[in-house]
Amino acid sequence: MSNAIIEVNQLRKSFGSNEILKGIDLEIKQGEKVVIIGPSGSGKSTFLRCLNCLEIPTNGTVKVHGDYFIKPGERFNEKHVAALRTEVGMVFQRFNLFPTMTAIENVMAAQIKIRKKSKEAARETAEIYLRKVGLAERMNHYPSQLSGGQQQRVAIARALAMEPKAMLFDEATSGLDPELIGEVLNVVRELAKEGMTMVLVTHEMNFAEEVGDRIIFMDGGVIVEEGPPKEFFHNPKHNRTREFLQKVEH
Amino acid sequence: MNILKNLDFATAFKDLYPELLKAMGTVLGATMFGFALALIIGTLIALGRISKIKWLDWLLVVFLEIIRGTPLVVQLVYMYYVVPLLLSLVVQFWIPDYQINFDAFTAGSVALGINYGAYLSEVIRSSIISVDRGQMEAALALGYTKQQAMWSIVIPQAGRIALPTFGNYIIMMVKDTSLLAFITVYELLLRTQAYASQTFLTIESYTLLALAYLVLSLPMAQVVRVMERRLARHV
Ligand SMILES: Nc1ncnc2c1ncn2[C@@H]1O[C@H](COP(=O)(O)OP(=O)(O)OP(=O)(O)O)[C@@H](O)[C@H]1O
Ligand SMILES: [Mg+2]
Repeated sequence: MSNAIIEVNQLRKSFGSNEILKGIDLEIKQGEKVVIIGPSGSGKSTFLRCLNCLEIPTNGTVKVHGDYFIKPGERFNEKHVAALRTEVGMVFQRFNLFPTMTAIENVMAAQIKIRKKSKEAARETAEIYLRKVGLAERMNHYPSQLSGGQQQRVAIARALAMEPKAMLFDEATSGLDPELIGEVLNVVRELAKEGMTMVLVTHEMNFAEEVGDRIIFMDGGVIVEEGPPKEFFHNPKHNRTREFLQKVEH
Repeated sequence: MNILKNLDFATAFKDLYPELLKAMGTVLGATMFGFALALIIGTLIALGRISKIKWLDWLLVVFLEIIRGTPLVVQLVYMYYVVPLLLSLVVQFWIPDYQINFDAFTAGSVALGINYGAYLSEVIRSSIISVDRGQMEAALALGYTKQQAMWSIVIPQAGRIALPTFGNYIIMMVKDTSLLAFITVYELLLRTQAYASQTFLTIESYTLLALAYLVLSLPMAQVVRVMERRLARHV
């Protein structure tokens, strides 16, 4: 077996008769940071959501740590899918914190319910991760009492507390006021340094170049071009990539 | 103007209040039992309809139409007089001569529970639907199954959204318990009627009856308002 954390094979996804993903192959290695960029509607979110089976592929397979979400020829098995999802943390553009729980309760909930940890153990872990994202002082605040940047950091802590093998970020900073973006990027940067495997969809090109080991340009449901950041940004091979990069830089 | 001069609230109150107090207990008991049942039935119907299982949805809609299309009094009478007969017929397949009977209170609370469950199911369904989809997705991404996410993340939030409406339905149910008189539950109305017809203290008795209902419903309305404010803080 290779040291791939995520393996995607001939992935296709349609909504009705509308094919959004048109055959994607990708292998993400332990510790690798893959950044996905592309125009709006190109299927980036749909692809990311297939990586933790929030969208069920119409065709093709996704494996996490050598384990299929849905084995070829088999049917969706909710218990198995749910268990495998704990290996892949996801951070959403709109945070999606549980509004009726405090920050620390947000981080504890799944540890207790899904990982079956004791309350004390869950609290201990939650404190570690909330401290890590710089929110030691805000643990008992409700989401409505936190800024967008703070909420997103709680969401990151909540995902990390499940100790996943990889993290998915879907435009984690797009919902934030400009002055709050930096604090969230800092947390992601720190995670990258620690060797977390991650897949990021982002519009922050500078950040993509900084943390990415590999940049993927998606358009029209396919991977148009991929490569290491230096090469990708400064010497793109495809016309569509060049056009896209020009558009976002100006 | 003789009537006004002869009003005797003191006597009516003295005679009636132990009776009314007992009857208020009956009303509260029927409301508590009926509403708890309504919540359970309402939630199950709501989940059944959200499940997108076609035949189940169809069946539930038929049930809802029957409940909404018939008066509560008819349902009460049906539950008290007819349902035991039907159930007995079924049971008699196995045990000959077996007779099922509901006492009036049980039949009444169950009928109230079913009737209100039907109406609450719509309230619960729309509150579940109004919870942001992102909540379900966040829970799924953390490894919850759909059912776990529904019960531990979505439904508690839906409950908060529905709470003020629940409060209004509880108050309505308190008042609707007066219909239990139709199936001989000795609640407020029946007790008052009995007393009024014995003593001819008509104005006094029925005024006290109205006050008794207000004593029950006003504090409830206040509690609902406080809870509403408290829960609205973190939604
Ligand atoms: N649940 C769905 N049902 C139907 N169509 C969908 C669904 N989800 C996404 N789509 C469609 O799939 C296409 C790709 O959407 P997706 O969100 O993956 O794009 P994206 O690359 O993430 O775009 P953006 O940069 O705007 O976030 C869009 O045309 C969208 O309308
Ligand atoms: Mg998107």
